[in-house]
Amino acid sequence: MSSVTNSTGSFFNRSLAQMSDLRAGIERTRAQIATGRKFERGSQDPAGAAQLRSVARREALAAVEGDNAARLGQDLGAAATEVEAVTALLQRARELAVQAASTSTGPDGRQAIAFELDQLRQELFTRANGTSLTGEPLFAGQSSGTAFTRDAAGNVTYIGTPESGAVPVAPGTSIERGLPGNEVFEFDLNGAPSSAFAVLGGLVTALQGGAPDPAAAAGAALEGIDAALDTTNRATTILGTRMAWVEQVQQQQGERTIALAERRSRVGDTDIADAIARLQQSLTALEASQSAFARVSSLTLFDALR
Amino acid sequence: MPTAIFTIGRSGLTASRRSLELTAQNIANAANPDYSRRNLTQGELVMTGTIGTNPQDSLGGVRPGIIERAESALVQRQARDASSALSAAETEFLALREAESALETSGVFTGIVDFEAALTRLQNNPLEPALRLSAVEAARKMAGNFRIANGTLANARSLVQAEASAETLTVNELAKELAAINADLVGAREGTAGRAALLDARDKALRGLAEEFGIQPTINANGTADVTLAGTPPVALVTGASAQAVRVSFAADGTASFAVGATSFAPAGGAMAGRASALAEMAGLQTNLDGIAASAIALSNTAQANGVGADGSAGQPLFAGSGAGDIAMVLASADGLATAPAGAPVGSRDTANLAALLAALAAPTGPSSGADRLLLGLSSRVSALETRTDGLAVVSASAEAELLRETGVDLDSEAANLVRLQQAFEANSRVIQVAAELFDTILGIR
Repeated sequence: MSSVTNSTGSFFNRSLAQMSDLRAGIERTRAQIATGRKFERGSQDPAGAAQLRSVARREALAAVEGDNAARLGQDLGAAATEVEAVTALLQRARELAVQAASTSTGPDGRQAIAFELDQLRQELFTRANGTSLTGEPLFAGQSSGTAFTRDAAGNVTYIGTPESGAVPVAPGTSIERGLPGNEVFEFDLNGAPSSAFAVLGGLVTALQGGAPDPAAAAGAALEGIDAALDTTNRATTILGTRMAWVEQVQQQQGERTIALAERRSRVGDTDIADAIARLQQSLTALEASQSAFARVSSLTLFDALR
Repeated sequence: MPTAIFTIGRSGLTASRRSLELTAQNIANAANPDYSRRNLTQGELVMTGTIGTNPQDSLGGVRPGIIERAESALVQRQARDASSALSAAETEFLALREAESALETSGVFTGIVDFEAALTRLQNNPLEPALRLSAVEAARKMAGNFRIANGTLANARSLVQAEASAETLTVNELAKELAAINADLVGAREGTAGRAALLDARDKALRGLAEEFGIQPTINANGTADVTLAGTPPVALVTGASAQAVRVSFAADGTASFAVGATSFAPAGGAMAGRASALAEMAGLQTNLDGIAASAIALSNTAQANGVGADGSAGQPLFAGSGAGDIAMVLASADGLATAPAGAPVGSRDTANLAALLAALAAPTGPSSGADRLLLGLSSRVSALETRTDGLAVVSASAEAELLRETGVDLDSEAANLVRLQQAFEANSRVIQVAAELFDTILGIR
């Protein structure tokens, strides 16, 4: 006999499959609410998962670049502080040189001035070898040793590198780490290479009796001190500009971090209101389908026959 | 003729009792998925005698006929084909989802990004020991993640292989069972309960085979089934009472190949085809993963060779190994990380070489893009397979429902049958009672 019937097994299979579908949907929505993530596995939304991966990579690198920028800002700040102190020191040296150049200052006064200038020269050398918060030399370029050395005769030489290297602070943006010492302390004087150390050292020697006319020598030294001041002023400007640049980059980093977070949230986070509404809808459907199943499955002729 | 009434009543009783038995059998098997609804045919019994040219009929009641089994070859076949297609898609989906979880949770991508991040941080101050150490440890972690990914992928692969081997045994058992059923069917008499049970067992074996392999069965007139496995080329598995053995073997890259007897073939449907295709995809994933690891090794080691460490010595290889399975961080100390270009003095803070490595790692051909592409490709594939599986599940469920409609037990109609047959039984008893009363009436004549 091949009459078509309403098979009991088929009814049970169908009802079970529908209810387990509803249950699986509810389970998934619940997981979305519990974890706050729209999907657990990449295959639930391959394109979304790929976007999340690229956002995660950008975020990881942005965090590091943010740290780099903050530290670069500190290093540049430390260098700028040193250069400012050096400027003040050279200005004091210029005042002393002007005093020494005055004929009214006697030999004793010149001795005293020579003594103070010698102290200033020492301080200049110490500041030129200044270090950052983490102990790195500020003016040695890419070298990790001291920036300047002094031989037995008191001649100071730059032994760092002429480049200071750049730090990446944003995709495609690198900012120079600082200024090498030769750009802060060395300059050309009347076509010959000179340095703040050489100018001060020469003046001290002259005032201590190394020159027949100390007053004239002091007057001549003014030109060198002015050149040294010009060089440090230029260094201050450069460092200030770079610090401003770092600040601007940091501001952009902050904005970009927010944009990345927004994007991640849009792609990967559960929309709670939507998820809860869907959960409620599925729950209602499941309850209805369960009670319908209970009623329909009890509708058997056997119950009616007594 | 009171005796004829007795005979008629008795035949009616026999027929309704046997029908009741079958109804009870149907109800008892209502939950048995392999059971096909039975039905008893009945025929009227009329005896005709002829004396001379004068034929005379004598009514003999009802004759219980044969046990009919509800069957529909077409719907059976649809259900089998649908379940073959579903098994193929579902097995492949489950296997690749395993591989997907393996690669996603092993953190290959995160490991590469963390390594990049540690190197970027190192650019800030290439000589700071803490930063150097953290870069070296990030490299070690990346290598570890590659090895974990390799291990979990191998694990997923061996699970699929073990399943294929185990299911091959099941297939061979089913084939042997079907051959034995074929042998029994030849001797079974038409219309008996035994034959119906054998046919149920035959259809069950065919369904079992269809889940594992796409099959092209031939149902012969005597009910026996010959099975050919669909594939390239199609191969005969069961012919009459003899069954061939299926064998599966695995190549070094994990891909599976199948053979029946001495003939190799590529299955075209069923769970085995899904497994074979999943294993082939996993071999591809492995090649891809090894490629990404090899590129990370080559880029890092090339950069090392082009530079000098913090102590001014020439850079030594950062990684050893040739693929995801054996990649290992081998740099002896963090000072050996070649951040400065070749020729730089001891203690140089030059980061040109480090920058070159970072650029190579972040390039579109570099490992992080490679890992991203690998994961995107895999998850897209898994997503497509999931959609396909869902679709095929609907097709298979409706084919199954159709089959149950044709052959399954409907408890309502069985209940109705029960009432009808009970009434028939009572009516026949009443006929015998009437016959007895008639007989008594005749005996009572004085």
